[in-house]
Amino acid sequence: MHKKIFRSSMLVTLLVLLSSIVLIMEVLYEYFEKQLISEIKKEAVYISTAIENEGIDYLNDIEGENERITLISPDGTVIADTAADVDALENHIDREEVKEAIQNGSGTSSRYSDTLTEKIVYYAIKLENGNILRVSARHYSVVVILLGLLQPILVVIIIAFVLSFVLCQRVSKKLVAPINILDLECPENNQTYEELTPLLKKIAYQHRTIEEQLKNALQKQEEFCLITENMNEGFLVIDNEMRILTHNEAAMKLLDMSDKEPENILSVNRSKAFRKMLENVLSGVRDESEIESDGIYYRFIANPVFEEKQVIGAVIVILDVTESMNREKLRREFTSNVSHELKTPLTSISGFAEIMKNGDAPNEMVIDFSNSIYDEAQRLISLVSDIMKISELDEKSVVYEKETVDLFTLSLEVSERLRSEADKKNVKINVIGDTVEVIGVRKILDEMVYNLCDNAIKYNKDNGIVDIIISSADNKVKLMVRDTGIGIPISQQSRVFERFYRVDKARSKAIGGTGLGLAIVKHAAMYHDAEIEVESKENAGTSVTVIFK
Amino acid sequence: MRNRFDEQLLQLNNELIKMGALCEEAIAYAVKYLIDHDADMKENSIDAERQIDRKERDIESLCMKLLMHQQPVATDFRMITSALKMISDMERIGDQAEDIAEIAEYVHLSDLSARVHITDMAEAVVYMVNNCIDSFVKKDTEIAYSVIVMDDTVDEIFMKVKKELIEAVQNGHDDAESLVDMLMIAKYFERIGDHAENIAEWVIYAMTGQHDMNASY
Repeated sequence: MHKKIFRSSMLVTLLVLLSSIVLIMEVLYEYFEKQLISEIKKEAVYISTAIENEGIDYLNDIEGENERITLISPDGTVIADTAADVDALENHIDREEVKEAIQNGSGTSSRYSDTLTEKIVYYAIKLENGNILRVSARHYSVVVILLGLLQPILVVIIIAFVLSFVLCQRVSKKLVAPINILDLECPENNQTYEELTPLLKKIAYQHRTIEEQLKNALQKQEEFCLITENMNEGFLVIDNEMRILTHNEAAMKLLDMSDKEPENILSVNRSKAFRKMLENVLSGVRDESEIESDGIYYRFIANPVFEEKQVIGAVIVILDVTESMNREKLRREFTSNVSHELKTPLTSISGFAEIMKNGDAPNEMVIDFSNSIYDEAQRLISLVSDIMKISELDEKSVVYEKETVDLFTLSLEVSERLRSEADKKNVKINVIGDTVEVIGVRKILDEMVYNLCDNAIKYNKDNGIVDIIISSADNKVKLMVRDTGIGIPISQQSRVFERFYRVDKARSKAIGGTGLGLAIVKHAAMYHDAEIEVESKENAGTSVTVIFK
Repeated sequence: MRNRFDEQLLQLNNELIKMGALCEEAIAYAVKYLIDHDADMKENSIDAERQIDRKERDIESLCMKLLMHQQPVATDFRMITSALKMISDMERIGDQAEDIAEIAEYVHLSDLSARVHITDMAEAVVYMVNNCIDSFVKKDTEIAYSVIVMDDTVDEIFMKVKKELIEAVQNGHDDAESLVDMLMIAKYFERIGDHAENIAEWVIYAMTGQHDMNASY
């Protein structure tokens, strides 16, 4: 701006200077010419008087340097000339000034010489005898005068140039100064040119708008951060060069990123499945994959991000699915176990039935077979009813009515029911303790105690003892079933509550049972928020304690 | 222009990580095949080796392109030259993993006393390869140094395995061919360990600009 102002004012000054020189020259020139004409007029008058008094010869005495005097007859023939030979001159009747003089008595005209460096001014008057006297004087043209004056003019120009240079510099600086010191942070507080006020107002307005937008953007970002940081799922945004643009706390935890910010997604995980997923998603295909690392299953859901039909990155959500994977695994195992357990009795039933169908078997055999079929069918029924019980307990939706149950009476009832079983093995059942009441579902509690005692008898030795001890202390009710049986090896104690788990797979058929007993106990305890503790020594006995809170 | 260069450097980094991961897989497959004789693993190992070869060529041309077009200096230049060196080590690891998988077909570890040591060796080498790639990925010289130290352990185990095999030969073991194959496998493992060590050294060079002069090649 400073430069621009300087340049234009400089230009203006120079233009004004030049044009004023030209104009002054023009005016002066006119003035000179007028002066010259009036001079030659006077001269012509003098000469005409002289000629009239002294005759033509007067002309011959005049030695003119600048002036040239010509006497012309009315028909145009030159009678005498001070500068040229009369005979060489042509007829002058066509000359403008001559014509004028013949008509009006006097005439003027001016003509440029061939070289344009000189201008010749003519004045003609008519003498009394009809002859015409013409006086001419030459004077230099503007260009020549200018050239003559070149030196002083140049000096003037240079002085003017220097002067205007300095002044323009100052002026332009002074003009720009208030603009330079404008405080744009608060544009409305400035005292400056009033032409700038609308601009400043506009700036102030935009200032406010930007501030507001920035505030909004920051708030949005904060909200976004809050959401992502409080997610349990890992959240990652990457660009198409696999740089991590955003990640949340959970992603860092799930992917086990160290505390320093990882820049590249491949530096976080470079396993084959992960690479495959990245490749897929960055080629624009949505990918969902489960990746296992160190026993933890992650589900990666990766969505490509498009801009103008080009993949510019991806959003990856990471879920820890270990629990559901484990549950899935258990469910699969359960299903395959159930089918296996169901199939075994059915196969033998079908086998016996096949033999009897053909009618080959003798009568006593038929009774045997029928017994076997009956036994197997009973086993199936108990298995199915156990499965039903356990699925009922699994299904949280089934609501049972809770009531006050006396564990002592319940245990006595159970021991009565199992008396015959116990007698077969000569096992003695003792119910020790006092009336202790818990709030629970009678049916489920009954099932639990029954299964515990049933196991205690089944896995007991001959002439063994089963104690059911009921006690209460510190607001906790304990029910302990203790036997003197074969015990459970320590390595397998944690697994006995799994469905269909058998410690001794070979003997399970002989002992009977469905393999679901302890699973039912576990579910029943869970239903009542009770804990189960197992203590066991091989060949010494097992005690299972259920602690109600 | 610089922007493009940065992008290409990033791409180089990513490709190197991928190639490193392939190496890890190749050796892991080979070891699994050696121990479990799962036929799929052999196929996987051979497949990984092929992919490694392809990656080596890709990375090589990428490095050349970077060197010719961008004329990198200082750290970038070191990064690219060490990448060039690293990929040849990685390629060797891939080859040797495949070789192990091929020989393993005729070796049955179960009936050899050297079994324990050769599995130890496999474990150590897998650990070394994992860590040298890790040191590159995380740009962590500490890990790289730990790899260099680890190589001594691998060499030691190799000597043990060798001694055991010699003893077996002297005692007139029935299957001499299997013993020789075992020795070769052990040697391959030892070589892979060396390559992993080299890679770790190149990582250190790329980051610090200094060669570890005390290291043995």
